[in-house]
Amino acid sequence: MYRSQRLALRYFTAAITLFGVMTAAGLLSALYYVEPSLLYNVFDFQMAKILHIDTLVIWLLMGFIGAVYWFLPKELGRETVGIALAEVLFWVFCAAVAVVAAVFILVQYGASNQFSMWFINQGRKYVEAPRWAAVGIVIVVLTFVYNVTMTAWRARKMTGVLWVLIIDLVPLTVLYLDAFPQMTNMSQDLYWWWWLVHMWVEATWEVLIGCLMAWSLMELMGTSRKIVEAWLYIEVMLVLGTGILGLGHHYFWIGTPQYWLGIGGFFSALEPLPLLGMVVHAVYDAGAHHMKTTNRPAFYWVLAEAFGNFIGAGIWGFMMTLPQINLYSHGTQWTVSHGHFAFWGAYGCGVIAMVYLVLQHTRGTTPLDSRAWKWSFALLNLGMLGMVGGLLVAGIAQAFYGRAQGGSTLQAFVVASENHWFQSGMYARLVFGILFSVGYVVLVYDLLAIGRRAAIAAPPQASVA
Amino acid sequence: MSPGGLIITAVLLGLFVAAGGAYGILYAAGQLRRSAPLARAAQGCYALQLLITLAVCLGSPLALPWKVFLAASAAAYGFIPPLMWRLLETMHRAGKEMRFP
Repeated sequence: MYRSQRLALRYFTAAITLFGVMTAAGLLSALYYVEPSLLYNVFDFQMAKILHIDTLVIWLLMGFIGAVYWFLPKELGRETVGIALAEVLFWVFCAAVAVVAAVFILVQYGASNQFSMWFINQGRKYVEAPRWAAVGIVIVVLTFVYNVTMTAWRARKMTGVLWVLIIDLVPLTVLYLDAFPQMTNMSQDLYWWWWLVHMWVEATWEVLIGCLMAWSLMELMGTSRKIVEAWLYIEVMLVLGTGILGLGHHYFWIGTPQYWLGIGGFFSALEPLPLLGMVVHAVYDAGAHHMKTTNRPAFYWVLAEAFGNFIGAGIWGFMMTLPQINLYSHGTQWTVSHGHFAFWGAYGCGVIAMVYLVLQHTRGTTPLDSRAWKWSFALLNLGMLGMVGGLLVAGIAQAFYGRAQGGSTLQAFVVASENHWFQSGMYARLVFGILFSVGYVVLVYDLLAIGRRAAIAAPPQASVA
Repeated sequence: MSPGGLIITAVLLGLFVAAGGAYGILYAAGQLRRSAPLARAAQGCYALQLLITLAVCLGSPLALPWKVFLAASAAAYGFIPPLMWRLLETMHRAGKEMRFP
């Protein structure tokens, strides 16, 4: 096994650990909605939420980085350039995440000054990590980009997937720099901040997961390179074509020009079309292989990724993306429902699929199967479906009573929050959140145990670099 | 937009994409299994999507350009699964096995 692949295993371990932190913080956030005085002035809702959404970004990012470090040597037939530095930076990254989490939990917030921004909280949603940690993230990502690019350069080899990946890593890195400016004009600040959030989630990350899925399909189903690369180009064209200007569907209530609402509505309404194509492709691939594979967990998580992406981003997104609906639904639990489903479908399922894919190699087990993965698959997906269902009901109640009927006043907000539909939705979210958490525990158990017994019975041949 | 109109329109828009997705899945499954019932079910889902489009166009408070856009989208949904299927078959026929080194 290459050192790069050993590093990938560390990244996956860190990712799955942070997935757990995210789940715990999410469960706590859900509890506040049914018990608002919980931990009042000790650990308030906003801190649990920050932990929840920041660990969401970091666990997925670590999963992506891990997957690239795993596939890169296989793709190029050589060790990753700068692997020693990458190994050091992995530990620096983990230590930084731990320190930032400790500061969020123990210090929480400070005065509105430069010290707080540098050492406590930068103050931008999703990228709250203090400035020193944000600089660290830039260094880690730049090193990662350098390693990937230089490995291809030294190997004197470039594949279609690698081209797409390397080109994609440039905007992915540059967009993160949007976390840095200090603007005093709130409209300008939010205008640029959305570039970071939207272009990551609905553009550069989509392309990145597309590259990883391309490698996964070659590995998992033996699909030919020509096919996955042709499909990747089509996907990139469609996703970027619809995704980039879909940015406008976030520009509500922040003082941006009105024309953005039409542009955003139009392009984001086109987004389900490429997703429909992906679903047809998933059915084709599943049928072409008669649902037979030596790695059923990875196969099913890949299918969950295709369908989850379509339902979460496509159906849930289209429900509320046209400006006349978005005007009312924006910022309610309805949006939260869509966000949960889309993140889970597009990225969460994909990262879990790749972890199983890699485990088959490290455990040397064929076929890779267990009972536990089925339980975790069912519990996690059922838990997620229940959560997004509960949030949808709560969000619709908010849009109906608080926005459309009540006129978006503070009084209307309170009335909507006391409405039984809203409260039932939040209870449902909590119950299904617990189910999801149980699914996470089973997943961790399975990742630790799957294939080990078979591997002990028949030790694998030593893998070679 | 009235509160009731808001909810009904949003639900119809969600169902619009859901029906399109069901059409795509059933179409692909029908082609895979060469099954006439699945193909008919796919057509049924697409017909449902067209009905939803009609309902939104006639009954929802959406502005006219969005209704036109929705009608055009519904037409696109009709073409995407067969086109995608043909493309996939062509790619797989032409695809030379070239896996990881």
